[in-house]
Amino acid sequence: MTLQSETKAIAVTDLSLSYSAMVDVPHTNNRPFSRGTTRRVVHALDGVNMTVNAGQVVGLIGGNGAGKSTLLKAVVGVLKPSDGQINLWGRPHLLAPGMGFNRKLSGRENVILGGLAAGMTLDEVRNKQDEIIEFADIGGFIDMPTTTYSSGMFGRLAFAVATHVDTDILLIDEALSAGDTSFRERAVSKVREMCEKARTIVVVSHSTSLVSEMATHAFWLHRGRIMMEGEVGEVAETCLKHLAGGETAQMDRVIAGEMPH
Amino acid sequence: MPTSSESPHDPSPTLTRRATRSGIPPLRDYFREAWRFKTFALYWSAADIKARNFDTWFGRFWHYLNPLLFGLIYFVFVGIVSDGFGDTERLAFIISNLYVWLFMSTTITSGVSSIQGGAGGIMAQSAIPRAILPIASTLTSFNLFLRSLVAYIPIHFGAGRTLHIENLWLPVLAVFMACLALGLAMLTAVLNVYIRDVSRLLPHMLRLWMYLSPVIWEYTRISGDGAESLARLNPMYPVMASWTIAFGGRIEGSEFSMVMGVLVFGAIAMATLAIGFLVFVAREDDFAVRN
Repeated sequence: MTLQSETKAIAVTDLSLSYSAMVDVPHTNNRPFSRGTTRRVVHALDGVNMTVNAGQVVGLIGGNGAGKSTLLKAVVGVLKPSDGQINLWGRPHLLAPGMGFNRKLSGRENVILGGLAAGMTLDEVRNKQDEIIEFADIGGFIDMPTTTYSSGMFGRLAFAVATHVDTDILLIDEALSAGDTSFRERAVSKVREMCEKARTIVVVSHSTSLVSEMATHAFWLHRGRIMMEGEVGEVAETCLKHLAGGETAQMDRVIAGEMPH
Repeated sequence: MPTSSESPHDPSPTLTRRATRSGIPPLRDYFREAWRFKTFALYWSAADIKARNFDTWFGRFWHYLNPLLFGLIYFVFVGIVSDGFGDTERLAFIISNLYVWLFMSTTITSGVSSIQGGAGGIMAQSAIPRAILPIASTLTSFNLFLRSLVAYIPIHFGAGRTLHIENLWLPVLAVFMACLALGLAMLTAVLNVYIRDVSRLLPHMLRLWMYLSPVIWEYTRISGDGAESLARLNPMYPVMASWTIAFGGRIEGSEFSMVMGVLVFGAIAMATLAIGFLVFVAREDDFAVRN
């Protein structure tokens, strides 16, 4: 499926990332809305090492709070490493549906805004505009303000814009669930098409089945550390076994569609 | 546990991200990357203008109506607290001064909210140079400011004001004003990332600053000596005095040097922009985690 080479695309070395965040401090009397807040340091990534070769499709799996999204944000440059480094061979793009959109404008106008926000030139956006609109398949709604869209329609348009960006390294964070079942199939097929163009892709999802479908290789992250790396099926199985029994694992599997809701 | 070791045969990476202390990034790289998003800034600004008032009956006419209504309110206010409503010249004076003040205050407040609001997910999901956002919001304010001036033209001539040589200073003053407002917007946006109360205090501080500046009162009311002369240290003093003269001509008895006023204000504006920009880019790595 991929034109994988031995040339590196992403090399993460001893990456640690911490940041401070506001957290609630519950009062002893436990009255709602009477809580104070304090700032606490969150160690989101701790000594992560990861190498992804050019043309490889890699999955990142793990429970909630494992650090998967943080790792992608560090790669794309939104979050700065606290320690270690990330080397990139090519420009990364985080597939972020709806980024740069203005909800009061029409779908057609948002195609331009979203494309420019994703780093495309105006000519690139104009050349791909019809293709993006066709892919989104939202009919006459394209010229209506996006405030009138259903969440599914908005998701389809946003996904269509995000997947038409030409990039060397594509990072996908839980973005394949836009729209209905048929659109999801098209979304997965679109990402596969991108894989065939030798793009390097990192997919993050709670759904181990989705990751297994897309990727050949996977990393399992847990509490900011890489626990395992290898063939995607093996890593996914080990990850699920490790999490089984815990509330977090159960929730992950429900989201993954492997357990009834 | 996997490890990644660099092979000596690997080509050099095109991009490296490593742990560094907060500080001013290499400016050449920063400007190059920001320039890549210039079209986005223009379209983001145009989209913002279109989206404003899109669901109102008067639509884009509010861009013209808003400053006029502000001017009328302050005309009434000044008339009540002073010795009478005065003539149409006072109305023209208040409205023309309020235009420039509104431009500055909206640039600062929208610059702060462009960072605080996350800018349509950009702050959390993209590495776009953050300075693009307050620059885009300044473009929006500047565009609206120029449009609103159209509504002032009939008031200008209706009040008996004419065209004169000092009018030529107006574009220079407007550009310096944009630089000052952008610099202040960047400084305030950074401060607001660390102390959220800043955005709550901001409207009150701006209102107070307006009353302390010769916006709805004449700059000639500042006498040359005593405590009142301290008002000349207000950076808004030279610009409002220059703006008043550039629009309506010199007020009788005024000894204000227009050239000196423009030079002083230009220096203040450029210094504020430079400091604001450097502080902003030095701290922008913190925006994603603190927003």
